[in-house]
Amino acid sequence: MRLVEIQNVTKSFGGLKAVDSVNISIEEGEIFGLIGPNGAGKSTLFNCIAGVYPPTSGSIFFQGQNITGQKPWDISKKCIARTFQLVKPFGSKTVLYNVMVGSFSRTKSPLRARDRALEVLEKLHLADKKDVLAKNLTIADRKRLELAKALATEPELLLLDEVMAGLRPTEVEEMIAIIKGIRDGGVTIFVIEHIIRAIMALSDRIAVIHFGKKITEGTPTEVSKDERVIKAYLGEDYVIA
Amino acid sequence: MKIGLNRKTTNYLLLFLAIIFVFIIPLFLKSPTYLQIMILLFFYAYLTTSWNLVGGFAGVLPLGHSAFVGIGAYTSTILYLHYGLSPWIGMFAGGLLAALVGVIIGKPTFQMRGAYFALTTIAIGEGIRVMVENINKIGPFTVNGPRGLLIPLKGTSFVNFQFLSKIPYYYIILTMLIIVLGITYIISRRRIGYYLAGGGEEPEAAQALGVNVAKYKLIAMAISCFLTAMAGTFYAQLMLYFYPKGILGLDLSFEIAFIALIGGRGTIAGPILGALVLRPVNEFSRIYLSGFLPGLHLVIFGLILIIVMIYQPRGIQEPLSKVYNLFVDKLEACLISRGRKKDEIS
Amino acid sequence: MDLILQATVNGILMGSIYGLTALGLTLIFGVIKVINFAHGSLLMVGMYTAYWLILLTGINPYLALIIVVPLLFFFGYYMQEIVIKPVFKAERDVREPITVIIVTTGVWYVLDNLSLILFGAEYRVVKTGLSGKTFLLGELIVSAPKFYGFVATIVTAVLLYLFLKKTRMGKAIIATSFDRDAASLMGINQYRIYNIAFGIGTATAGVAGCVLIPFYYVFPTVGVIFDIRCFIIVVLGGLGSIHGAVLGGIIIGVIESVFAQFMASTWTEGIIYAIFILILFIKPSGLFGARQDW
Repeated sequence: MRLVEIQNVTKSFGGLKAVDSVNISIEEGEIFGLIGPNGAGKSTLFNCIAGVYPPTSGSIFFQGQNITGQKPWDISKKCIARTFQLVKPFGSKTVLYNVMVGSFSRTKSPLRARDRALEVLEKLHLADKKDVLAKNLTIADRKRLELAKALATEPELLLLDEVMAGLRPTEVEEMIAIIKGIRDGGVTIFVIEHIIRAIMALSDRIAVIHFGKKITEGTPTEVSKDERVIKAYLGEDYVIA
Repeated sequence: MKIGLNRKTTNYLLLFLAIIFVFIIPLFLKSPTYLQIMILLFFYAYLTTSWNLVGGFAGVLPLGHSAFVGIGAYTSTILYLHYGLSPWIGMFAGGLLAALVGVIIGKPTFQMRGAYFALTTIAIGEGIRVMVENINKIGPFTVNGPRGLLIPLKGTSFVNFQFLSKIPYYYIILTMLIIVLGITYIISRRRIGYYLAGGGEEPEAAQALGVNVAKYKLIAMAISCFLTAMAGTFYAQLMLYFYPKGILGLDLSFEIAFIALIGGRGTIAGPILGALVLRPVNEFSRIYLSGFLPGLHLVIFGLILIIVMIYQPRGIQEPLSKVYNLFVDKLEACLISRGRKKDEIS
Repeated sequence: MDLILQATVNGILMGSIYGLTALGLTLIFGVIKVINFAHGSLLMVGMYTAYWLILLTGINPYLALIIVVPLLFFFGYYMQEIVIKPVFKAERDVREPITVIIVTTGVWYVLDNLSLILFGAEYRVVKTGLSGKTFLLGELIVSAPKFYGFVATIVTAVLLYLFLKKTRMGKAIIATSFDRDAASLMGINQYRIYNIAFGIGTATAGVAGCVLIPFYYVFPTVGVIFDIRCFIIVVLGGLGSIHGAVLGGIIIGVIESVFAQFMASTWTEGIIYAIFILILFIKPSGLFGARQDW
């Protein structure tokens, strides 16, 4: 049984089909990449999985269960976590507080939530900034905080939406290592990314979306040689974030 | 003798001393006027702290909370006048009714954006007031419209929640205030507090972390309305008279909200500080200046509001807590050097 | 039946004046996205200004417009500049800028109570050549000042509309209301635009003040009644919609007038609140407003 089954998912906004009959299966323990030009529908697909809005048609299965159309907080309880492309930290609160909101999803006890949050911060090299207010963080730290919040919920599936956008090359390398570490810890990762180097380094398999449709799928090498992909990229105003 | 002082211990110690001080005030402050001022101070601090659960922690701006004060006052008073039910029990009945009403109102309104939410709460608050002003009787119960309700003086009686002296009222409201502060403190330290704060600041992010933001806002609303209504009963028993414009009015709703905002919404000390600063201004300018300049206290109030919002939008608790910390630093340094001197001598 | 027709006509006239008072608010609400709780108080300032002007100089209320309107324009301009701008700037990135609401409420308190101190609580009305004058329209009795108020409303609304659509400044205001940063990049000083918009909004309140004074009592808290009414009208008619404000005002005026034939005025107040709440739930963008993102 595949961990995630996205079956014929379509999402329309009015007349616009943002996601068009997409089929994707993700195995447990793999890092699955999703690439495509801006506006191709990647974040929309994530939002459908994460419960922000239900797909117009199609189904999404997680661990064999149909999770289509469930609310974000229920999805979170099923051990699916996500980050946001435009990071949403709780600006007026400290880094530790932010992560604790996440860790409280697994425990009611403030002490245990705190310990768990500190563990996660350690893993992401943010522990020394635990008392800094989130709004005072650099962009790189904010991205890591976003990741920390999601990790604190102890997910089995992690949806990463462009966590590298805006990072410098050294920071990107760091993030790649962190993400690999998370996968080694047993988390399946579904990642959207524009930075080609990162997505190639991270992914076991990649799917390419263009105008809402999946145009191909395969290993990084296969995908990079695929004619349709090259057409899609060279034919667009493609901006690397 | 070494004194192991860390900031936390000092805070608790000072808090303890403050509570003791406040409890012994009636021993030397005998004037009923001043006692009344203190009672109203605690009353407003209580109201703003209860309001803070929704307006501060949950991140919305309810401007119609006086409706719940009114629900509390009317419920317990009607039950008392009609059935002779002790206002103590009526207080809880009022609280439950208010919580119910609050949840019913909250469910559809929490989905609105901030400005519209504020307008809706005003409309609902005023709507309730207009309704009550127009009703003389609900079934067998006398509501008395705009004239309000009068509670007959029965002399000191605990069961009837009436006392001839101000002092019992003082201790009752003080206890209620401490309880409400305690509740706020506990909430802020536990999961519900984190969920409320997160949900209020970034609802989508909180939802992605497993928080059913709407549910928690309603829980906060229910608690807040319950507590607020209890204060309504207290007020009714203190004054033995109330009427819609006073207890259900926009003025009261706004005053509660603004004390919290000036003090610092979302913090525990904020509402208290706000009440401490603004109520005396209110009372004294009303007592001493109303003669020549009616309404001056509201002008001052308005000016303070504007100035604070421009320069310290998070409330005066921010600069005041800095001052507090400086003060306590000096205090600790003083005590520690005294302790060391004692060591040197012995 | 005749009574209802008469009431309807009264309602339309009075309602249009309500719409006039709400014009400024919808402009401010729609452009600057500021919820100005002090709008009623600004109207009160307009009324008192007109009152004293007429009382002291005997000038015709409609000529008083020449003085009152610019005066109120500057009042509003500087209110935005001094009081609201700093808060606005500070709240740029906050998701829901509530502090502005609070600040304007402070202004409301200050203005209302200052006038209480300065002018006393008495209800004042000024006798002008128009007071109490009526004329006959067929079988209907039409109050002259209300009729002129109706005319003033239409004129003001049309002028405002033309200003926004045809003049450069007007277009700049509309641009800023869509996207203040984009407008900024086009060379528009967004804060100056806000000041001007606020000034215009307040100036319309000045027009309303002059129009009301021939038949309406002025007293320190007269603004409160209008304030709430204006918000109801603005939401009903749609944020930023000029014709929405006028039509919304007329609707409210007619409801108030017609229902008053059947029930106590306090109940009509309640009905208006009920309608308000219904609109907020069902169609918060109002009858003519665009879908607002906030």
